[in-house]
Amino acid sequence: MENPFNITQLKIGESAIIAEFSNGFVACKLMAMGLLPGSAIFLMRKAPFGGAYYIKTKNHYVALRTNEAKNVLLINEKKSI
Amino acid sequence: MSDKIKKIALLGNPNAGKTSLFNQLTGLRQKVGNFPGVTVERKSGFIKLDANNEIEIIDLPGTYSLYPTSLDERIAVNTLIDINNKDYPDVIIYIADVTNLDRHLLLLTQIADLDFPLLVALNMNDIAEQQNIQCDEKRLSNALGIDIIKINGRTGNGIDIIRTKLAQLLNTTNNNSHSNFYELIEEEKRLSKKVSDLFPVKNEYHALLLAHHAKKISFLNQDKKRQLQELVLQNNFNPINNQLDEIMQRYNKITPIVNKVLSKSFTNAKTVTDKVDFIVTHKIFGPLIFFGLMLFIFQAIFAWSIIPMDWIDQQFANLSTYLQSILPTSIISRLLTEGLIPGISGVLIFVPQITILFLLITVLEEIGYMSRAVYMFDNIMQKFGLNGRSIVSLVSGGACAIPAIMSTRTISNWKERLITIMVTPLISCSARIPVFAILIGFIIPNYKIGYFNSQGLVFMVLYLIGISAALISSYVFKKILKSEEFSFLMLELPEYRKPHWKNVFYTLYEKVGSFVFGAGKIILLVSLILWFMASFGPSKAMKQAVNVATIESSLLNYDIATTNLHIASKKLEASYAGQIGRFIEPAIKPLGFDWKIGIALITSFAAREVFVGTVSTLYSIGRNADNLTIKQKLQQEKNEKGEPVFTMPVALSLVLFYLVAMQCMSTLATVYRETKSWKWPVIQFLYMTGTAYIVSFVVYQIFK
Repeated sequence: MENPFNITQLKIGESAIIAEFSNGFVACKLMAMGLLPGSAIFLMRKAPFGGAYYIKTKNHYVALRTNEAKNVLLINEKKSI
Repeated sequence: MSDKIKKIALLGNPNAGKTSLFNQLTGLRQKVGNFPGVTVERKSGFIKLDANNEIEIIDLPGTYSLYPTSLDERIAVNTLIDINNKDYPDVIIYIADVTNLDRHLLLLTQIADLDFPLLVALNMNDIAEQQNIQCDEKRLSNALGIDIIKINGRTGNGIDIIRTKLAQLLNTTNNNSHSNFYELIEEEKRLSKKVSDLFPVKNEYHALLLAHHAKKISFLNQDKKRQLQELVLQNNFNPINNQLDEIMQRYNKITPIVNKVLSKSFTNAKTVTDKVDFIVTHKIFGPLIFFGLMLFIFQAIFAWSIIPMDWIDQQFANLSTYLQSILPTSIISRLLTEGLIPGISGVLIFVPQITILFLLITVLEEIGYMSRAVYMFDNIMQKFGLNGRSIVSLVSGGACAIPAIMSTRTISNWKERLITIMVTPLISCSARIPVFAILIGFIIPNYKIGYFNSQGLVFMVLYLIGISAALISSYVFKKILKSEEFSFLMLELPEYRKPHWKNVFYTLYEKVGSFVFGAGKIILLVSLILWFMASFGPSKAMKQAVNVATIESSLLNYDIATTNLHIASKKLEASYAGQIGRFIEPAIKPLGFDWKIGIALITSFAAREVFVGTVSTLYSIGRNADNLTIKQKLQQEKNEKGEPVFTMPVALSLVLFYLVAMQCMSTLATVYRETKSWKWPVIQFLYMTGTAYIVSFVVYQIFK
């Protein structure tokens, strides 16, 4: 996959590393929730009816709407968690 | 030093176990109110720590940082940065979850920089152990310079140490030896200095926060607010960038500390949550499981509440009968036995349904299921201006709108919560069922269509109309209502946990209590007024009604029971309620309703199912009333021209009216309580009843 990409481009079951955020508000909120640049994330599910994204990081689970998920820019990791 | 009651704030991230700790500390000595001016719930409890210290513990809404993104979070932040706030804490007990230590330390370092005396309650140690995480809390305490106590919010372990430490802390001065976690950059320092020249602040970080929140600070007057905002503009202060830099800098300090004090052997194994969510949030199974659960709740509310509801009904009826037999007939005894006791009964009758609904919903909330439902339905609900959580209220509304509206408290976005409150009563509740059941026979005869029963299908269509009406109304409200709150979804889905029964119990205790003593008062008052209107009238008219009824009865050779019914019916006609029925007849005539139906519409305001009792009294003029069902009575009812009153168009119009109109004062009382304003119940009444009028009018005019 070409860098950079965002959460909406991940397939279910894929993981990647957060590189940066393209929106300050989303960045502040997600970082306060413990999702930092450098954190590995894993896409658990996409919601039914084309809704939210359900991701997992090392110890917690977070749901994001498409709008927010687009603002989380990712890079490939060497190997999956 | 304790001439005033000390305020202790509980603070922490959402899902850190704040509620459990609060319940452990305060027990049943809890008081639930609202933060001034807003509808965010304020829970507090008074406890006596020792001879010197009587304290009030305030449960602040959970937040991830001092940069709030919802109304709840903003309340917490405003309380902490307004030194004149009534709830400004003397000490903060900070609850941190050891399984997510780095994130939980972020807010901790922020409030530490505000120089609050602090205690940290380190929670979830049992879960950490299961995950092979060990935390050296002594090293953590030394590294942070803050007292840390390991607790277990579920078992209460460590709570006594919290109390002892708290008492010590209140008797001494600040215990914390930490230096500032965040170093303001030059530009921030300059701004901070200017802010502190204008406003009383504790330190430079406090001043910086005031500048940061300049637009949203509720506790400054307009002048001060403008001054502050000008200052922010002049200094080209960019809140978001500074906020980002601050958070990064804090994590740079936190991460090395966490790495030092935590030893964890990271496992790749799938957690319980992973496994459960593989099914529970599945694209197809997820929604199916959700609707299965909701069906179960719906059934439970119906099935489990019948026995206690009948029992309550029976006990109060017995009490009334008993009092009638021992008290002399007087206004006072009638007020007691026909007004007050049925009124109290009318409040308490809802308690079983409310208890069952909240029991099940609280358990789902406790184990962590609700946030999954929010995640699954967020998108579809959002299109209608609702929230993922609204779906729970809408489904509960199928049993009773009162507990359903109370359950909207979990929706943090005010606009989404308000819309949910406004449309939930359109979902057909259980009180409409008896009304539909009687009238449906006039709409369609009972026959089989394949496997289905014609009347059953009409029933289903009525429910679907209710659901559609709710969704359409939400969409309209979405377009009309303005909201300053930015809509987004960044929601933590907590790990699945066993329900904490103590928390469930306290929640139930509080919800049921707030219904009985909050909405209950209003319901009681209105039912007394309705009783008065249906029992009394201008004395001349009432006397005449009794005389006419007695003469007619004797002419027609009625037995005693029928005579009494006939008298009751004539008295109801002559009563104030009857007068109003006649008064509104011109208005409801175009809908196909006569003045008797008008009376039923008015008395239905006590509860929709009262329709059945009212029409049964009004139409009991038949020869041998006891042998006829209500339906037969209605069929026999003729107007002055000798045509039947209850024709298909009339019944259809009436059913639709009952489906859409706001006729339940208990619901309105609950809406008032939940929105803290008469504005919303009034709007709700007008829009629902107005729509009902139009719908019934159109339908009647088409079909008559």
